[in-house]
Amino acid sequence: MNNAEEKISYHARKLLSRRDFFNQAGMAMGGLSLSQLLAADSPTNFSGKSPIRPEISPDDPYSPREPHFEAAAKQVLMIYLPGAISHVDTFDYKPDLIKYHGQKPPGMPAVTFEGPTGNIAKPFWDFKPRGKSGKMVSDLIPNLAEQADDFCFFHSLTTDTSAHPQGENFFNTGFTMEGFPSFGSWVTYALGTANEELPSFVAINDPRGLARSGKNNFGNGFLPAAFQGTDFSAKNPPANLGRPASISPSHDRQAVDLLQRLNAKHLEKYPHDADLAARIASYELAGKMQTSVPDVMNIKGEPDYIHEEYGVSGGSELKGEYAKNCILARRLLEKGVRVVQLFNGSDPSGGNGITNWDSHSDILKTHAMQAEIMDQPTAALINDLKRRGMLDQTLIVWCTEFGRMPFLQANGTGRDHNPETFTSFLAGAGVKPGFSYGKSDDFGFKTAENPVTVYDFNATLLHLMGLDHERLSFYHNGIERRLTHVHGHVVGDVLL
Amino acid sequence: MDAFHYQHTPNAILENLIMPTFKRTRAAFAYAFLLGGLAAATAAQKPIDFITDIQPILEQNCLECHGPDEAEAEFRVDSRKALLAGGGSGIPTVVAGDIIESYLVEVLREEDDEYRMPQKADPLPEAQIALIEQWIEQGGEIPEDFGDQDAFGGTDLWSMQPVTRPQVPDVSDTANPIDAFVRQALHENGLDFNPRAEPRDLIKRTSVLLTGLLPSAEDIRSFEAASAVDPEKAFESLVDELLESPHFGERWAQHWLDVIRWAETNGSEANLYRKNAWMYRDYVVDAFNDDKPYDEFIREQIAGDQLGVGVATGFLVAGPHVPAATVGREPSAIRQARADRLDEIAQTVGASMMGVTVSCARCHNHKFDPISIKDYYSLTAVFEGIEFGSRYPESTVDGPAQQQEQKLRRELAATRAILAESAGSWQEDWKGWNETFFRPVTTQQVRVTFLSPRASVDELKLFGPDDDELNLALAETGTVAASPERYTDFRGPVENINDGVEGTMNWRTPKGAKFESGDWPWVTFTFPETRTISRIAVSSNRQYFLETDYLSTYQPNSPKDYRVEWMNADGEWVESVSTPDLQDRIKSDDRLAAFSAEVSNAVDAVLGQGPQPSFVGQFIKPAKAHVFHRGSPESPRVEVAPAGLTVLDGDLGLDSATPDAERRLKFANWIADPANPLTARVMVNRIWHHVFGTGIVPTPGDFGFAGALPSHPELLDWMADEFMVPQVAGDDAWSIKSMIKQILLSDAYQQSSKPHEVGLAKDAGAMFLWRFPPRRVEAEVIRDSILLASGKLDASIGGKSYRIHNEKKTYAQWQVVQNHGPDTWRRLLYQERMRRVDDRNFTAFDFPDCGQVRAKRPVSTTPLQALNLMNSPFSVNQAELIAARAAKTHPDDAVKATAELFALILGREPTADELTLSSEVAAASGLNVVSRSLINTNEFAFLP
Repeated sequence: MNNAEEKISYHARKLLSRRDFFNQAGMAMGGLSLSQLLAADSPTNFSGKSPIRPEISPDDPYSPREPHFEAAAKQVLMIYLPGAISHVDTFDYKPDLIKYHGQKPPGMPAVTFEGPTGNIAKPFWDFKPRGKSGKMVSDLIPNLAEQADDFCFFHSLTTDTSAHPQGENFFNTGFTMEGFPSFGSWVTYALGTANEELPSFVAINDPRGLARSGKNNFGNGFLPAAFQGTDFSAKNPPANLGRPASISPSHDRQAVDLLQRLNAKHLEKYPHDADLAARIASYELAGKMQTSVPDVMNIKGEPDYIHEEYGVSGGSELKGEYAKNCILARRLLEKGVRVVQLFNGSDPSGGNGITNWDSHSDILKTHAMQAEIMDQPTAALINDLKRRGMLDQTLIVWCTEFGRMPFLQANGTGRDHNPETFTSFLAGAGVKPGFSYGKSDDFGFKTAENPVTVYDFNATLLHLMGLDHERLSFYHNGIERRLTHVHGHVVGDVLL
Repeated sequence: MDAFHYQHTPNAILENLIMPTFKRTRAAFAYAFLLGGLAAATAAQKPIDFITDIQPILEQNCLECHGPDEAEAEFRVDSRKALLAGGGSGIPTVVAGDIIESYLVEVLREEDDEYRMPQKADPLPEAQIALIEQWIEQGGEIPEDFGDQDAFGGTDLWSMQPVTRPQVPDVSDTANPIDAFVRQALHENGLDFNPRAEPRDLIKRTSVLLTGLLPSAEDIRSFEAASAVDPEKAFESLVDELLESPHFGERWAQHWLDVIRWAETNGSEANLYRKNAWMYRDYVVDAFNDDKPYDEFIREQIAGDQLGVGVATGFLVAGPHVPAATVGREPSAIRQARADRLDEIAQTVGASMMGVTVSCARCHNHKFDPISIKDYYSLTAVFEGIEFGSRYPESTVDGPAQQQEQKLRRELAATRAILAESAGSWQEDWKGWNETFFRPVTTQQVRVTFLSPRASVDELKLFGPDDDELNLALAETGTVAASPERYTDFRGPVENINDGVEGTMNWRTPKGAKFESGDWPWVTFTFPETRTISRIAVSSNRQYFLETDYLSTYQPNSPKDYRVEWMNADGEWVESVSTPDLQDRIKSDDRLAAFSAEVSNAVDAVLGQGPQPSFVGQFIKPAKAHVFHRGSPESPRVEVAPAGLTVLDGDLGLDSATPDAERRLKFANWIADPANPLTARVMVNRIWHHVFGTGIVPTPGDFGFAGALPSHPELLDWMADEFMVPQVAGDDAWSIKSMIKQILLSDAYQQSSKPHEVGLAKDAGAMFLWRFPPRRVEAEVIRDSILLASGKLDASIGGKSYRIHNEKKTYAQWQVVQNHGPDTWRRLLYQERMRRVDDRNFTAFDFPDCGQVRAKRPVSTTPLQALNLMNSPFSVNQAELIAARAAKTHPDDAVKATAELFALILGREPTADELTLSSEVAAASGLNVVSRSLINTNEFAFLP
């Protein structure tokens, strides 16, 4: 070991240039500056590539930032279907299920997530060719079916878990465990937002409540709190947004004025202090949000035909609520909100007996109830964005944590979880329309061609947002953390 | 079956055929070998010579990383010894004649880039790999004299070098050793300390750092007065006083709980409440208040059950876990979940006490630090005897609860004796389970019939008269449970009834089915040989009763109507007891009824007044530990013994047979050993981090190569040594209070935070400490200080947390129902700490979500914080209470009342300008408008 300097290579470089390193480091205080303490070229994110760390100014954490390369999409709408929608009953047509209906082929497992398994079951709804592409889609979702020519399907998605909360975590944060930053928080951390008067990342929860992983699906994990998803819906504004009922408008104004004047005097004692200035700015931004959020939530002003197209009335109450959330999603995207995450389902406790897509029993009834809520409003939302030309810069992601089994459970009426192959689709900016990528086997049981992991899927989403998933990282407790952990390949075939 | 043709899915067939035999990832390779390799391998071959044929390949492709320069993965190819020992995976590199067991072949043939060797290069040419295989087939001989180096030559990672006390630099006018180190670095950079801070700023800063609470206006005035006489003496007494405050422990417990992401819920979907988990929080508060020596603090948290403080092991189960019901029924998922739980323990121990990211070595050797995958599994093996759950914490102190329990148990035993004599049978309702005593019978088979339309039993236990603890029904003892299929739901197999696993994994009757008299559901228990039984205990979900609370859907409704029969020598069922008949008999006999009521009262008394179970971990029989190839429990490889890190002499002399308790105690001693270079360094750095906002090592949870380097390495070592062997302070070793005091008595700490241009230009972040770096305080300080200002803070220490959430269904999310009423007016430390639940108030202030370890809270500023602090019911209500308090002090003088608001909230008089401005607002709109503004000011939220 005579050549110790060589051995420690880049670490040694860090040591030897310690003084320079501190001069560079002393930019700002607080949590945002930590990344600057770490050598910019340390390959600690396991990709061999150096991390790209966004320059985040403490007094303006949301200011728009350049992507890593030219981005196909500037905004993203993620429609998340908690509970796992059945691929073999919607978009992944498997004639063999009809052929072998009621039989149990060899190779099918005796036990899956919920317990013993039953026999193969044909799709519970008929499939028909749709649009110019002739894509086979079931009658469960007639409205989405009509738009199949616009969608780019992934039929060979696989995930690492067959449990919902871990599956939601994995899909939304890249880790089955808790506490990692969500996709939306990564994107806003990297890109900021075009409209600082609205939250940069909005999570619209289902009318029945939060999904099983709750806030973890849109949380900031260990990223600064500035990048967490703000949750509100057409029905519920963000917490503490409004002026308290006990305080009159003029008293409220006076309180804000007095606060800003006291803060200004205090700042004179600490000139150049970015953290103090940041806090002053945050109160100004909060004030603006008090007007801009109610404005964007006001969907009453939308024309009648919009309410009709989205299905606000005429269906179940839940469908009406979800339809309003869909209109809200469009309005948020119009205003430049960077990431909108729209949930169609909650944890199993709320609502009308069926609260998400988790159809372990009586799938015929329970999937139908879910589809009644989801289909028309979602299709109208996508169509509306298309009509307004917004798909040029908006990426739509329609996704779920895993699929369902081609065979029934031992109870004979429901399908169990299937992590080995499932379907989601993208639409809009940067992706091939009317395209299907990957294949499941003849039963829709496992992937057969071009498997796509959740890492790959997320890498592709980031790529479409102009972000290199191997370089977008954040130092946390010894590791340059990434949305895609140490995995993931961009699925180039789906890109325009 | 024959109707099926997998024409398009050959992989499925292959997998089904191959996977059961070749579970490991070597499957694909092994299969290829079976198909194509056999012919080649059996063909006549020329002898391969290691030196002429193999060594050149290794030298060209492997030596750069696995040679004298790097020895990556603790592996070298330049010596026989090292080659045979294998690397950090623990898997032998070469097994003579066996290419499947030879790790060298496996890594060369690997298809995944992530794991294939050589890394970041093309695979070796097929011919070279084939040559290596042939060499192994032929015996894989390496000449005896080929090299003599060990693979593992230690590390040059700075943090793993022994701590040695450096010479204190000689800096003029600097008596304090800490200042000498800091000033030396400042001078080198053309900087020096700021002047001493104003007494007002100093007391505010110090009070918040040590207790998390702002000083009162009165405290500030008297400190100013004392400082005018003798600033140094005044400050030292202030520090002494604050270190003795019971609020010191609360403040520093908060930091420790952050690091280990301790919370009172499990996380994951159900996010269940952890009953009495708060007892561990109180242990931590007390430990800091008592200035428990840090080495003892370490030992107790890892092995407190053996040291009379069982509650301290709450540390080990501080992280999140996924309960069995959410894991599912697949055996592989169950194994994965167990591995995940052990990983949580490893993360907790690694990040808090060792300052290394051990989890990075879970799938492969640590990419940066000298921690092998074998080290990782040796470390988790230490905790193989720990499971997430509750137990009755051990205590050497016979506290009131223990004494009371002994008394109550004596009373219970006396009443039982009477009932045994008079009635022969009786029932006891232990809430979480139901017990029936009956006259002893000796038999090989027992039948329990549930006299109810439905039944659901997580565990049924049978006991004999001689041993209260030995469960004779347990499958582990050889007992077999059976029940007809028609009585059994497909999701609740009968094996669940005696598997020793309590909770949601139960035997139950089919969903929707209702049984009636003549067709009651039953279960038989067949012992391996005859047993004598006299007691049965039945529960539907004993685990929920012991471990959780606040579930609207869970009632501890254990089945209580059942019949117990035994089989006699003639093969006939004989009834021992039928509980409805028993109850009728007792009811009809006044004397029995009285005794039965007495038993019932005695049971209630034990449950209510005796020691309580707490979520501080359960003990299980340690399983044999293996290296899991690529982190997958489906690929167990070499067996490993419980141990610390190899690089730090972590061999504890243990093996797979070592009992759980001994593993943990020895491991704890290894961490707490002064020779362990990480322990003291990590802790003094943590203290520095909490005082100055940034550690000497700015990454307090990572002292590895991927972490940041120390800004003042000599100072860090000086403090680490002083912590273990106090020479300056002369106090006890490992005293946290003493170390804090030494830091606070430095000029570095007591200087002003005022910025100046030279300093900002040279070192804007004040890493060199030319000023005390100001910073925003945490959620806790803001909230607690608001309550202090309103005079409403309930400052009592410890106990059950206050609740802001609802009762919920098992799989529902927690809802905030009341987050601002008088019940919540305790310190935020005592708000139930919920994983990933937003309290709609202070969570927005970078409060950790307790999902991942948090050695350091980020500080960010968001409009949501502003909205919460302006508009939340808590803020509005407290602003009114503060205004009312000021008005009460000065009922007839609005201006004085306005000034009083400044005193209450900011601890000072307003300036003339401020008073004019604020009085006008108060006169026009009310004092509460002013107080609402003041609790939102930067001055209130920043540490000066």
